[in-house]
Amino acid sequence: MESISPVFSSGTEQRYSPPWEDLSIIGIAGSSGSGKTSVAMEIVKSLNLPWVVILVMDSFYKSLTPEQHAKAHNNEFDFDCPDAYDFDALVQTLKDLKQGKKADIPVYSFADHQRQLQTTTLYSPHVIILEGILALHDPRVLELLDVKIFVEADMDICLGRRIMRDVKERGRDIEGIIKQWFTFVKPSYTKFVEPQRSISDLIIPRGIQNITAIDMVVKHIQRKLDEKSEKHRAELDQLRKIASELQLSPNVMVMPSTSQFVGMNTILQDPKTEQVDFVFYFDRLASLLIEKALDCTSYVPAGVETPQKTTYQGLNPEGIISAVAILRGGSCLETALKRTIPDCITGRVLIQTNVQNEVPELHYLKLPENIQEHTTVMLLDPQMSTGGAALMAVRVLVDHGVEEHKIVFVTCAAGKIGLKRLSTVYPKVRVIVGRIEEEQEPRWMERRYFGC
Amino acid sequence: MSDERLETIPSPAQGVGPIYRPDGEKPTATVSKDMPYENVHVLPQTPQLIALLTMIRDKRTGRADFIFYSNRIIRLLVEEGLNHLPVVEQAVTTPVGRTYLGVKFEGKICGVSIMRAGEAMEQGLRDCCRSVRIGKILIQRDEETCKPKLFYEKLPADISSRWVLLLDPMFATGGSATLAVEILKAKGVPEDRILFLNLIASPSGVADFAERFPKLRVVTAFIDQGLDEKKYIIPGLGDFGDRYYTL
Repeated sequence: MESISPVFSSGTEQRYSPPWEDLSIIGIAGSSGSGKTSVAMEIVKSLNLPWVVILVMDSFYKSLTPEQHAKAHNNEFDFDCPDAYDFDALVQTLKDLKQGKKADIPVYSFADHQRQLQTTTLYSPHVIILEGILALHDPRVLELLDVKIFVEADMDICLGRRIMRDVKERGRDIEGIIKQWFTFVKPSYTKFVEPQRSISDLIIPRGIQNITAIDMVVKHIQRKLDEKSEKHRAELDQLRKIASELQLSPNVMVMPSTSQFVGMNTILQDPKTEQVDFVFYFDRLASLLIEKALDCTSYVPAGVETPQKTTYQGLNPEGIISAVAILRGGSCLETALKRTIPDCITGRVLIQTNVQNEVPELHYLKLPENIQEHTTVMLLDPQMSTGGAALMAVRVLVDHGVEEHKIVFVTCAAGKIGLKRLSTVYPKVRVIVGRIEEEQEPRWMERRYFGC
Repeated sequence: MSDERLETIPSPAQGVGPIYRPDGEKPTATVSKDMPYENVHVLPQTPQLIALLTMIRDKRTGRADFIFYSNRIIRLLVEEGLNHLPVVEQAVTTPVGRTYLGVKFEGKICGVSIMRAGEAMEQGLRDCCRSVRIGKILIQRDEETCKPKLFYEKLPADISSRWVLLLDPMFATGGSATLAVEILKAKGVPEDRILFLNLIASPSGVADFAERFPKLRVVTAFIDQGLDEKKYIIPGLGDFGDRYYTL
């Protein structure tokens, strides 16, 4: 066990901000039927990235009282004025997302005119497109927007589109639609929607047909994303510099080099080893890592009576121990995990390193419910080289309410700088490492384990 | 065989936990006795191991859990036992073209289980050594002489050229194990090539064995408080074979 004297106070000031912390928000406003949604969808389609998300303002409609509901049923309720929206909730959501936190987006039912009990969780987008007739209305929202877009169309076209949509998609009758248009939509346009035009950065006439304008927005977002990625990489580099001057934290525990352990490592690293043997020895070695990781969890004293009618003063593990695999590699460790805790609750995150700029990217996330209440959460990744993916995965857990000291990172091999980088930012995270490997080791274990 | 004076000393209770945790924050539990023999190896008394032992000692633990948790301890015992086998240095070029100075396992091994409880440890052995040969020895108490008697044995023909992992989960008086070791030695296995793996041992059994076979290595998870009047280990865990196979 490698353990070094705990001189480690400077570490806590270092921060890691993932690329989603500095979120860009693009607001798209415009009349009902002007083609906002199509424009937003076209932008998302052109970018074709998982980090761009459309946030529809209709999700933030206030729930209606029974009287209002009856009115709405008779097309006598004004859905087009600012009062119909819960701007407080919208502002809070945008603020949370801007800080990189996860946000629960309300789900609004048009049938009941009520907010549903369930919510949609939104986490880690790098760009959000806020789309709604009044997206540029509230000054608090405006402050958070990076780009303000106003989509313009002829009012006759708007009405035509609205009729088509409401009849087709919402099953309403033409008479009601026209009644609502002239009572609420049109007056509201003049009063609230149209004034937003003057404060917008970009006015897009003819909506989706305006390829030049959409292309401009797409280019702008791409540039923003590149900047974020560059900033992220610069930050990781900066952390690497700081980390290279530090000692390994005492919270990093390297497995003792017993002859069996070294022997297994030799077999695993020998390219002549058959895949079936690789899997066998990998599982055997990983089981020892998991057993070691379980030493980091909390135990409570427990007296038990043995069949010999005597008492043994032992220990029981406290609470729930769960695991989160960092895909794809992390799933290599699951066989060993199941061998140790057969019914272990397991979450998954897919973090892939971009081959072009070597920046880790979060593609997918599925965490167990109430993970913040678990006693220990093991993060599984067979190899940690620069620590970028590890930093991101820990950050994801922290953002979901898991306290830093409850996280145990389990890995078969890691480079020293990666380890130091992780403990510089998250000094309380404990790390179980099978073997210290050379710096900049590319990931190869998962390829051997899965055979592709 | 048993030393009564030794048995009355209570087992030590101490805080168990990882080194980085301050003593005050470590939960207290009873840990293995310390025995002053170089050839006796007790697994590190980690909270994790204590928790596993707590599970299998608890009389309320059902058979499925008993099997699962004892298998986990057995794997740790096998891993520790295998560390006593010889290795030779070997350098390999890794898939990314770097050189790793590692080791290669040397010497052939085999398992020998003392029936019936010892057979329960075979799965754990196979989990670590896939195609290991396993011999069996049946030893029963002779009703007339009250001494252990060999009823049956089936061992690999080339056992004298192998390292032997002798398996018996409960090491109480060591009567059967002593006879088993004598059989192995008679077959030509050198004493220093025998590793006796067991889960729970009695202090008297360990002391007696360490002196009788000074070159043989004992690997155990826990040295318990002592033996009761029926020569069962206390606190122990009851009859291992019954709890694993039939109860």
